This record gives sequence, C-alpha cells and structure tokens, in this order.
Amino acid sequence: MQRMLRQPLTRALALSSPSRAAPLAARRYAEVVPQPDKVEVFIDDKPVYVPPGTTVLQAAAQVGVEIPRFCYHERLAVAGNCRMCLVEVEKSPKPVAACAMPVMKGMRVKTNSDLTRKAREGVMEFLLVNHPLDCPICDQGGECDLQDQSMAFGSDKSRFTDIHFSGKRAVEDKDVGPLIKTIMTRCIHCTRCIRFASEVAGVDDLGTTGRGTDMQVGTYVEKMFLSELSGNIIDLCPVGALTSKPYSFVARPWETRRIDSVDVLDPLGSNIVVTTRTNEVLRILPRTNEEINEEWLSDKSRFACDGLKRQRLVTPLMTDSRGNLTPVEWEDAIVAAARALRDCPPDKLLAVAGDMADAESLVALKDLVNRLGSELVCTEQYFPLEGSGIDLRSTYLLNTGIANVEEADFVLLIGTNVRFEAPLLNTRIRKAFMHKETDVALIGPQVDLTYDYMHVGDSASIVKDLASGTSSHEVVRKLEQAKRPVVILGADQLKTSEGAALLAYTQELALRLQDKLQDKEWKVLNVLQRTASQVAALDIGYKPGVGAHLSNAKVVYLLGADSGVVTRDSLPKDAVVIYQGHHGDVGASIADVVLPGAAYTEKRATYVNAEGRAQQTLPAVTAPGKAREDWKIISVQKPMSGKLDVQLKSLEDYFMTDAISRASPTMAKCVQAVLKQKQATY
Amino acid sequence: MSLGKYLALDKIANFFTVIKQNGGIRGSLYKMYRQDDLKDGVLVGQDEFGNKYYENPRFFFGRNRWVEYSDNFNMDYDGSQVTAEWFGWLHYKTDLPPHEDPSRPKYKWMVPFTENMSGTTGQYTPYSTTRPKIEPWVPPRKSSV
Repeated sequence: MQRMLRQPLTRALALSSPSRAAPLAARRYAEVVPQPDKVEVFIDDKPVYVPPGTTVLQAAAQVGVEIPRFCYHERLAVAGNCRMCLVEVEKSPKPVAACAMPVMKGMRVKTNSDLTRKAREGVMEFLLVNHPLDCPICDQGGECDLQDQSMAFGSDKSRFTDIHFSGKRAVEDKDVGPLIKTIMTRCIHCTRCIRFASEVAGVDDLGTTGRGTDMQVGTYVEKMFLSELSGNIIDLCPVGALTSKPYSFVARPWETRRIDSVDVLDPLGSNIVVTTRTNEVLRILPRTNEEINEEWLSDKSRFACDGLKRQRLVTPLMTDSRGNLTPVEWEDAIVAAARALRDCPPDKLLAVAGDMADAESLVALKDLVNRLGSELVCTEQYFPLEGSGIDLRSTYLLNTGIANVEEADFVLLIGTNVRFEAPLLNTRIRKAFMHKETDVALIGPQVDLTYDYMHVGDSASIVKDLASGTSSHEVVRKLEQAKRPVVILGADQLKTSEGAALLAYTQELALRLQDKLQDKEWKVLNVLQRTASQVAALDIGYKPGVGAHLSNAKVVYLLGADSGVVTRDSLPKDAVVIYQGHHGDVGASIADVVLPGAAYTEKRATYVNAEGRAQQTLPAVTAPGKAREDWKIISVQKPMSGKLDVQLKSLEDYFMTDAISRASPTMAKCVQAVLKQKQATY
Repeated sequence: MSLGKYLALDKIANFFTVIKQNGGIRGSLYKMYRQDDLKDGVLVGQDEFGNKYYENPRFFFGRNRWVEYSDNFNMDYDGSQVTAEWFGWLHYKTDLPPHEDPSRPKYKWMVPFTENMSGTTGQYTPYSTTRPKIEPWVPPRKSSV
C-alpha cells in the first residue's frame, strides 16, 4: 500500500516499468540482484544485448542510434504522449512508441525505414500545425528541440492552409512566478514539466486541463509554481513554452561563451555552465554530474547570477579622516593594509574567512597570518572542538556522499531543513523515498520536505535518547533494522552551546548503527555544512568560529566574511578591519580598508563541497574594475624583510653545487684553477 | 598738409590723448601690462560682465573695434568672454551695437551667456546614458559632512 501512496497511481499500477533512474556510472552500494539473462534485439540490423524491460529507445541508444523524442526524458517517468519516437518494428502492424515499448526477444527495430520516417514526418506536421512559428522572437531559438528535430525529421514543405480559416491554436499565458516566463501557445504538451514537478520537485502544482485541441498545461487555478527547483523545467521544456524570465530576450545561444564552473551558493558544489557575452554573466545552467547534481540545479544557484553585477566592490577603498570609505589606488590600500598587519602584535591579529572563500586564498591568507606570528585563522561557522574536534575529516563531512544517499534505506535528519539548505541533496532523498522504499525521519521543526517523513520531535534530547538506546520511539527500531542508514546532522545546530553534546550523541548514534552494519563500506554519519567554503577551510586548518578572540583583536582580516559574525560592536574601538571580498555587504561596511576581490565566476579557484570533493571554478568573465583575484591580493601583502641574496656569486661557486659535481674530479680541478687564477697577479 | 602734421605733432598729441584716456602714466603702464596695447577710442558700450567696447575709425579696419575686458577677469580673460550680443558688432557683422539695435529678438527662453568653461570644474563632460554592466557598491556615509 505504501508504494501506491508514494507514486502516482498510473505508475504504481504499471505492471512492468522500465528503470526510470538514470544509469549511474558507479554505484558502490547497489544491491547485488541476480541479473536475468539479457535478450538480443536488432536495431537497424545491429544486434544488441539488453536486460529485459529495457525500452526500444534505450536499446537504440546503446548502439548509438538516437531516436527523436520530445516527451521522453531519462530522469522522468515515461509518458509516451508525443509520439515522436515512433519506430517500425518488424511483424508489428503499426509503428510503436520506442520510449514506452519494452524490448522483446529477437525484436527487429527499423529506425530509419520509410514507415518510420513517414510516421515522424506526420507527427512533426501535427506538432507544427499547433505551434506558432515565432522562432525569430523565441528565446529557445537555437537550443530548441522542436527546431532541431523539424530540420532533421520534418517535412520539407508545409500543407498548412487552415491559417486562412480558423487560424492557429492560441493559448493564454500563465503567470507562474518571477523566474519562469510562459508562452503557452508554444507548448507541445510533452508534460515533462508536469512530471518533473510531481516526481522530482515534489510540488504537484502543474497539470493538464481539457483534451484534444483544448488541452492546456497549467496550474489549474491561478497560482505560482514556487519550488526551489523550478528553474529546471526551463531546461526540460523542449520548446520555448517555458523560458527564463530574467534571461528573456537577452542573448542567443550561438552568441555566448560557455565556461564550465562550480556553484558556491550552496554546500553541494553543483556543476554549472556559466554563459557569458561581452564580459557579462548572462545565465547559469546546470552541467551534468551524476555524483552531485545529476542534471538539475537549484533556483538560487541558477538565478542569483544577476547579483554578480550589483553592489560590487570595484575599487580599493579606505576610510578618510571623516571615517567615510573613499576610493583609493591599489598601492595605497595595500600599503595601508600591510602596515596595519606588520604593526599588529601577533596575538591580536585575526583572520576570518567567509562563505565563499576559495581554497587558494584560504591558504594564502593562512600563510600570511602565520608568517606574522599569529595562529588565529578562523571561519565564521562554528564547529565544536571538543573530543577529536576537526582532526578527523570525517567528523565534518557528508560522508555517505550525495549520490549514495539514494541507496540508503533509512534517512534520519537532525536539525536540518535539507530542502532549502541543500535542495539537490533533498531530491536524492526524495528519489530514494519514491523509488527505493526509503523512510525518512526528522528531528527538528516540522517542515515541508516534499515527501512524507516521520517527525520524531524537535528536542535535542531525542538524539541523546537515541544514542543511548533508551528511547522507545519507533524510529529506533527502524534505524536498527536498516541495512544502510544515513544520519544527516545540520551544521547550524552546532553553533549553540549544546552543539558539542549534540554532535557527540550523533556520532555515538552513528557509530552504534555503523557497528551493526553488514556493509562495512557504508558510512552513516553525515554533517551537512551550510557554506561552500567551510570544508576547505577546515581541511586547510582554519579554526571554526571566531570565538573570544574578537574582543581582543587589533587587526581583523575578513576574507569575504559577510554573515555578520564580526561586527564593530564586538571589536575594540581602535581595531583595524581589512575586508577583502567582492560585494559590499556587512563586512565591507565595517571595514577600514576594502580590497576588491573576484567572485566565483571571475577566478580559477578550488572549492571543496560538503562531501569533501574538490572542484575548480574557471574564470568566465574578468573581475570588474580594479578588482583582482583573491590569492594575488593576499600574496602581495607578504611582509618583505631582509636583502636579496644569490648563492652563486662567482665562478668557483658555480662548478660544484650538487652531489655529482662535488664528486667530479674535473669540477674540482676547475675550482682549483679558478682559485689559482685569483691569486695570480694578472 | 598742415605744419603740425608735417612735423608729426599730431602723433605727439595722439600720444598724450592715449595716455590721458588710459588713466595717466600708471594706468597706461597697467594696461600695457595687461593687454599689450594702448589705444584711444570712443566707448561704444558695456556688456553685462563689464567688458568695454571701443571704436576708433583712425585705425584701419579690423583694428578699429576692440574690447577691454572687465577688471573682474583680471589676467584670465579670453575671447569667449565677449557676449553673444556684442560679438556681432565686434566682428563687423553689424554696425549697430546691441543697445541701438531695435530688431534684435529677445525671448524668455534665452539662457544667459556663459563663457567657455573648459578646463574648469564647470566644464561639460560627456557621459554614457547606457546602464553600466556593473553597479558598484556605494559605501554608506558615516558623517553627513
């Protein structure tokens, strides 16, 4: 019964459903299911062996034959309603829809026969009859499946004459929010957006009304499609019915440059493509990485890129005699900063790294501060240092791995709203919940996670009870029965004074579960960090949390620290604050010296995501104005001391410099000769 | 030709007239210093800045109308300080000075004459009307001064 509740009725009732999950490159924890014998099918007379239940379309993809499709998407349920994938199957009276047809033994599929081509042409003709040919003003132009496939598979001429009689079908546009622009006349009813919303995003807002020519995709009532993953339906839409509102009428895909990069707005480090033109970030698209974000991207990561053009620090700033920040030259700002650093007593020098600091600048800053004799390099987010603290990397990582969360059979969330803290991790949990019978329990405030979960309570003492085994809650039994349990602890909970105890109990609980597991490779304990920089900072050796050092500090170096941990009130009156970062926010407004750095789209920088995966961003645009790459700014402030000296000053120094040349008699003779020559009078 | 002219006595007379008209020896030396020229002439008029316009037909065409810039300009005088009204008379476009010319149009929308402000803080600087790609952060002012 539970299965039926989790999945849409149509799917639950389907007798044999082909595998919907995308094929993963490597699933370490996959259950060893005895694979049934593969069946042989022939695609265009090429034999291919596939497991039974595979669709014709997937089998064709294995031999490199791509069958055109609109409604089929490998990560969504099969709908089979666009009919574009019709192929001829031998001994079948009619062409069949390849996306929904499971293979049968000895099946002979012809993907390029006359019948297939005629079927495609016919389908395409019907689609185009009800589609406005407004490609010149359509934002999808150039990356439109309908455009491409009508060129490849459509007819070369039109028989459409109805324009003189009843005209083209027209549908009113829907208002679904500030992110997605709808031009519903262009919709070809593939229902990908509907399936995405209900299956992946877990928001059953979209659906169809009417039938035949009157069919419309919409939200039934006037309602916004508000989901943290809504932007993905823009990518999914094969035509221009759903396009990006901020990006509308901005650029054509062939005008833009696409640079692979990594997102830093959430701790997962989703892979992205930054699209730029004329040194301006236009939009951000997801890049497929099965291990992290599959092919989705959360809305903040996708649409916040216009924030890269506002409130930027474009020139070095320094406070003038009146206390106002005024633009200065780099030299003045660097000299002022370096002087403040040099004159500061080592125990009063504090460096604080913020949310989006990259590993390179973190290292550079730590080196700089250490060279000046201080060990006070901190991050803004606190993490308890009791016990082993951050000595073991596994205490602060998402150990299970983002992709492996799908394999879990029980997920316990402690003090985290994973839906908004890491939306794409939530889609993994949801996927496991939907397709793998995974159960989820939550300790913390009752929030909407887009799937059903067992709410254990919102008291921290529950974790203690669970760890000690004194709890009689149902969740204990579930946890202990689980073969691959996952415990995810939100890092925000560790800030409080109870954080250390909470972490200790969570670790104890995880350890207890871990010991009972048969699969020794499986990791139970997970800490979900909130920021993109925290893991790298802890790896490098930053201390989590600024703690009590603030009230004693004389010079504070903020590396993009904007979360408001460091305030003027928490510092002594005469403290000098040096802020280095890319946006004028909390940090810059309390600073005495502001050094403009580069944002993540403007530098080649390394970030480590919540699961400890190091990834690199690439510079898509140049930093605005006088802003520079962060590690360079830090490295020019290195204190200079002493004179320059070279080792090899004269000829006798030259001949013998290493083990081989020192052993060489010839070289020894050379040295002798030089010394002799020196004593000579000429 | 009279004897006086023959002996160039009129030149001497002119010399004394010039000296006298320019305010004696001290005044004449100051004017020589300021404008490298010393002339006698009829004061035709004065503009809103206080520039004085003179005429003396004894000098040949091109030199017989001139301006003596107002003392307010000190040594920083230049041609753009001749007002538009007087420009025409000074450049022989008309023989009627502005106050004697009834046909000159006067409208409410006419802006007061300004000299060329190039090189000063009041100069015109062309600016772009397109929105900048990057909007910089403007630090909040701590003091109102």
